[in-house]
Amino acid sequence: MIGAATVLQTEELLPEGLDISFKIAPSVLVLGMLLLFLAIGYVFRVADTENMWVAGRSIGNVENGMAIGANWMSAASYLGMASLIALSGFYGLAFVVGWTTGYFILLIFMAAQLRRFGKYTAPDFVGDRFNSDSARAIAAVTTFLIGFVYAIGQARGMGLVGLYIFGDFGGVIPGLSGYQVMVVAMMTITVGYLTLSGMLGATKNMAVQYVILIVAFLAGLYLVGFTQGYSTVLPHLEYGTLITELGNEFSEPFTNESYYLWIATCFSLIVGTCGLPHVLVRFYTVESERTARWSTVWGLFFICLLYWSAPAFAAFGTDLFAENVGPVYGDPGMSSEAGDVIVVLAAQLAELPQWFVGLVAAGGIAAAIATTAGLFIAGSSAISHDLYTNIINPDATQRQQVLVGRLSIVALGVLTTLAALDPAAPIAALVSYAFSLAGAVLFPMFFLGMWWENTNRQGALAGMLTGLGIWSLAMINEVLPAYLSGSEAPLLSEWLATWVPAIGAALVAVPLVFAITIVVSMVTDEPPMETKRIVRQCHSPEPMGQQQTAEDVVTDGGTDETPADD
Amino acid sequence: MADNNSHDTDDGSNSSTNDAEVKADGGVASGSPARAHQNTDYLSSEVNLLNPSTQFMRDHLRLVWSGFAVWFVVVFGPVTLTRFAPDLMTTQIPMLGFPLHYFLVAIGGPTGALLLSFWYARKRDALDAKYGIDHAAVEETGRGDKGAAATDGGVDE
Repeated sequence: MIGAATVLQTEELLPEGLDISFKIAPSVLVLGMLLLFLAIGYVFRVADTENMWVAGRSIGNVENGMAIGANWMSAASYLGMASLIALSGFYGLAFVVGWTTGYFILLIFMAAQLRRFGKYTAPDFVGDRFNSDSARAIAAVTTFLIGFVYAIGQARGMGLVGLYIFGDFGGVIPGLSGYQVMVVAMMTITVGYLTLSGMLGATKNMAVQYVILIVAFLAGLYLVGFTQGYSTVLPHLEYGTLITELGNEFSEPFTNESYYLWIATCFSLIVGTCGLPHVLVRFYTVESERTARWSTVWGLFFICLLYWSAPAFAAFGTDLFAENVGPVYGDPGMSSEAGDVIVVLAAQLAELPQWFVGLVAAGGIAAAIATTAGLFIAGSSAISHDLYTNIINPDATQRQQVLVGRLSIVALGVLTTLAALDPAAPIAALVSYAFSLAGAVLFPMFFLGMWWENTNRQGALAGMLTGLGIWSLAMINEVLPAYLSGSEAPLLSEWLATWVPAIGAALVAVPLVFAITIVVSMVTDEPPMETKRIVRQCHSPEPMGQQQTAEDVVTDGGTDETPADD
Repeated sequence: MADNNSHDTDDGSNSSTNDAEVKADGGVASGSPARAHQNTDYLSSEVNLLNPSTQFMRDHLRLVWSGFAVWFVVVFGPVTLTRFAPDLMTTQIPMLGFPLHYFLVAIGGPTGALLLSFWYARKRDALDAKYGIDHAAVEETGRGDKGAAATDGGVDE
């Protein structure tokens, strides 16, 4: 087995230095974990739609904070971030900053207001706020696309980590390499689990998943640091002294990527955070707007626990790699596949017991599954709830809705698997494309829709199409060539790739979308009074009932007199 | 963006009726914030980020914008400084061993956002208290008394 593994390591998409073989203890650990998720999903299974989408609006502060954390921390946080820091040094920190600080913007501008608006999904918000089925459809398609693009990175992460745990099964499915077989297997498990349970099961699961992944990550960091003599009690600060040894590539600013790309990436990740449907949907599940605020604070704290640790893990991993495998930078240097498993690799190179390395790897799989679950739920609800029930078949029965929801989860799973068989970029970069999209299309709609009551249908449609256009252009320019011909060169123009990079397209798109939405809204008719009143209700400090939406309040009590004053 | 106003002059008039007088006070002279809150009809007050129309919204936005300003500096300050003063920013911090820019970005960024979030949530609770708004009633019973009135009036299914 070991002999075969060393030969295969020279092949594509096999991370060098990683011990690829079937390991019994880690396998039991991962399978046990997946069974646990399925059991929890089964116990909290749901049959009706209200429960499937928003868990009956009964989730509290800390639990929702953990769910925010687990939902948020995907393979991109768990594996991809350390990878980017190891490979691109200071540029990788743009991800650390973008993925945490975005929550503050979400908190001050959107969390509580969205809870007051009280609709199921992101497309629901757009459709109801702008009174337009076309807007709803565009948002639904965007949500679906986000789920798809985002999940490609997760599938890549699961595939690579799966190699460490289960070994190389290349050829078991004819024509597929070991990595590809693993992607198919892991995605099948994820989809199977998701079709069995809805959001309630998922929310319960997310708290469990958060605990598993944060314990695995922190334990990994502490043990690697301690056994290798890097750190004792606070590795998050102690890796500082290591930085000079790691070389200029690790800390020198702007040697790998320009200042502009740093800012573009960071900005995209921030606005993407505020526009991601699977993040926003977490605010519909809480009991009150105050809970929405505090669970954001809790969520950010839970997220920071990992984000403070990732750069330290990257530093330890990079140093161990240089010692045991070969030079990290230069030619050939560390491949992006090895980078993507640097967290697992660090634990393995530190010669920690196999079951423990397996635990670190299992944490990565938990992270990937938790996020994929959230994404697929958001994506499938966009299809079944927003496209199918609201537009195509308004008389759909509950049964039909749930069926369409499940079918779209399967469709997402198949699409993602196919795209992940030969992914175009490292995990974190793949995931960033989804952030660019959310930031460019959905964020301006939420922001303007909430904060300027005169934003209207025409403005929203023009704005969303602009955002979608800019993002698609950047993707076609940079990412499509990698799939078509495997080449790195931009398809359309080098200039476009420099100034509107796919990974940071929102920096250019957001101001443009804002401008277009505002100008078009101003030259066309104002939105109806009813809509304005709903927006006002979202900002009113008056508390609302747990099951109420802004629309209920406005239509129930407010047609001819003030609704909320005694 | 200031030209938003021109677009809604027609209904902007009624929205500014009840706050011209409460604005100047800071909540002491012409009535307590709680009174202002009770006298405000939020559903008739325009929502415009750049032109808040109720006393509550003004107070809230003051909070939001101060937080945003600090946040902006925390997030984009260090990296921009690094771009323009690389020598200064890459000096090593004594004891910790981090280059300054690395420390401010990798640890300063997330920590700054977390502290700011905590600060905002606290301040926002304080703001609710100042205006006599109580979320506990809603959380305990599942709906506030006012919510109940509105719901009972309107629920038919």
